[in-house]
Amino acid sequence: MNARGASSRLACAIFPHLALSLAWRAHPELREEAVLVGPERRPGGGEVLLAASEAAVASGAVPGVEWRQAVISCPDAARLRVEETAISDLRWELRLALQDLSPMVEWVDDTRAFLDAGARDLRWPTEAALASRLGRELQRLLAVPPRVGVGQSRFTAWAAAQATDPGRARLVPPGRAPHFLAELPVEVLPLPGAVKERLRDFGLTTCGDCASIPLPLLQRQFGPEGLLLHRLCLGRDGTTVNPWVAPPPCGVRRVLAGPVEDTEVLRFGAPELAAELAAELAQRNLAAGRLRLLLGGEGWESWELISPPSPAMTNEELLPLVLSLMARVRRPVEVLELQALDLGAPPVRQRQLFPTGGDRREEIERAAARLRERFGSGLVWRVAVRPEHPGDVPEERLVWRRA
Amino acid sequence: MLGDDLRNGTSPALGAALATIRARYGSRAVLAGTGLSAAGLPTGIGGVDGLTGCDGLPRGRLTWASGELGQGWFDLGLAILARLSISLPVVLVDFSGRVDPNDIEAYGGDLSNLWLVHPRRPEQGWAAARALVEAGAGLTLMVADRWEPVGRAAPATLLGAVESGGGVALICGGQSLPGEVTLRVAMELECQRLAWTRVHRDISGIWVRLQVGRSRMGGGGRSCRLRIALPRPYSPRAGVVETELETEGLTAPLEASG
Repeated sequence: MNARGASSRLACAIFPHLALSLAWRAHPELREEAVLVGPERRPGGGEVLLAASEAAVASGAVPGVEWRQAVISCPDAARLRVEETAISDLRWELRLALQDLSPMVEWVDDTRAFLDAGARDLRWPTEAALASRLGRELQRLLAVPPRVGVGQSRFTAWAAAQATDPGRARLVPPGRAPHFLAELPVEVLPLPGAVKERLRDFGLTTCGDCASIPLPLLQRQFGPEGLLLHRLCLGRDGTTVNPWVAPPPCGVRRVLAGPVEDTEVLRFGAPELAAELAAELAQRNLAAGRLRLLLGGEGWESWELISPPSPAMTNEELLPLVLSLMARVRRPVEVLELQALDLGAPPVRQRQLFPTGGDRREEIERAAARLRERFGSGLVWRVAVRPEHPGDVPEERLVWRRA
Repeated sequence: MLGDDLRNGTSPALGAALATIRARYGSRAVLAGTGLSAAGLPTGIGGVDGLTGCDGLPRGRLTWASGELGQGWFDLGLAILARLSISLPVVLVDFSGRVDPNDIEAYGGDLSNLWLVHPRRPEQGWAAARALVEAGAGLTLMVADRWEPVGRAAPATLLGAVESGGGVALICGGQSLPGEVTLRVAMELECQRLAWTRVHRDISGIWVRLQVGRSRMGGGGRSCRLRIALPRPYSPRAGVVETELETEGLTAPLEASG
């Protein structure tokens, strides 16, 4: 069945770790080389390997191991560092792109994501169209070809993605999951190691072997994990995605007495809107990363969006943004709704008695990161003298990096 | 009384109208008749600090160092930035595309305290300046050979950020500014090149007269002379090496030597 039906269908995308993708973007010559990305500092102390290329993983440098251990395992690997802000920016872009494809997106970690592929969408009439678009979007943002799989359950979709080559999609039709999974070794099942060990002791080496065992026998041997094993091998495990949920909206709505076209008249009401939204934000102790002005008229609706350079919370910060949004109105408006989006903790505003340069520098770095998100990465730069600069050639003395 | 309402904001309707005007045209578009004064951010350059009347560049204000190309404002701006970068985070918004960070270092600057902005469009530069001022930049230097028109909100919001944070915004370059910016400049420092200084055939420095032009803070007409040693490989020190406050009438050009 090629047309998308109402049965549960999930898509899984597997791609290199975002940190590795960013490192490759900066050093494309290292695509085929052993690369270690990190270290990442863990809250409890210690530094671990954040990501590694396939060549490095083959040498034993598995992401998550201690950084020193990874370096010992793969001493010839190129060691690269990626800014956490760059990773979070890319993660945000990817999440937005995936949510444009499907309303239900689960971002598992920085190497895979699940989408609900069962929802009807006229833009993607077939699963193949959706899978193809998903792959293209990820490749556009990551510059690395992902693997895409579509199936009736999470495990089936994941296994389908694993079974295909980078840049390809594998679709397991509804009802064909047991056949597709039959040849998979039990080692890939998401089960405890002890269970897999016992399966091998019984001579059950593939999912097909396990699927042929009646459920009561599996439960008798493995308890609750026997049931999970049975479902996994038949492609009846989890069929839902756990989507990221935005915090509840925060906004102010006004219904006007009649259509208003004159932006000057609209702007006269801006202070009231800004003040009310500021009061609501203050009550929640949140600041808005973006503002959206929903506009409605007779038979039409649209919206305007603005991203302030820094999160806005107070009336003074909100009012210029609201005025800017209102200046974009081109049609008679009857309904206005001002919404605060990307809510987060308000920026620190308290004046310090003895301000230190370090604190200000951190705040400026954060502002620079927000500017990069708004205008692109080439706007704000840091410059440093290269430690081992060759001679006094001015062009070679400095190292430029994006702030 | 209208004056009392302006000062005290006792009338709600008037308060709302004032808020609208200030949001659109800047927080200093309507003032209650009190005088303008400001604390200064000392630059360490005696001539400049003595010129402004507040022992430095006025905090919470926009200052404009004006002049044609080659009149010295470019290197003066870099020298001030370099001096302040030793103790403060500083931002350089380079609309001109001519800034070489090597020069800032040669003027004694600390590059680890510098954030360099390369805007592709004027709006980007103004927005970046405002955001970085809000974040705590001590000095924001904006450099352009010629100023492109910009929307009214950009300079207004920058001024608002500078006022609330007590930072300093120094606009360098050009003989004229967009009208929206001119309205908000508190002090204009006119740069005029008096002479080049030379070593052999190379220009090694510049004598500049700095004169307070339009000013909302008084001191109009005061002037000083500065000698700026330009970054050169053979020069032991770059920066403002001599300053001298002028008295009225002392305007003879200098014949200087390296």
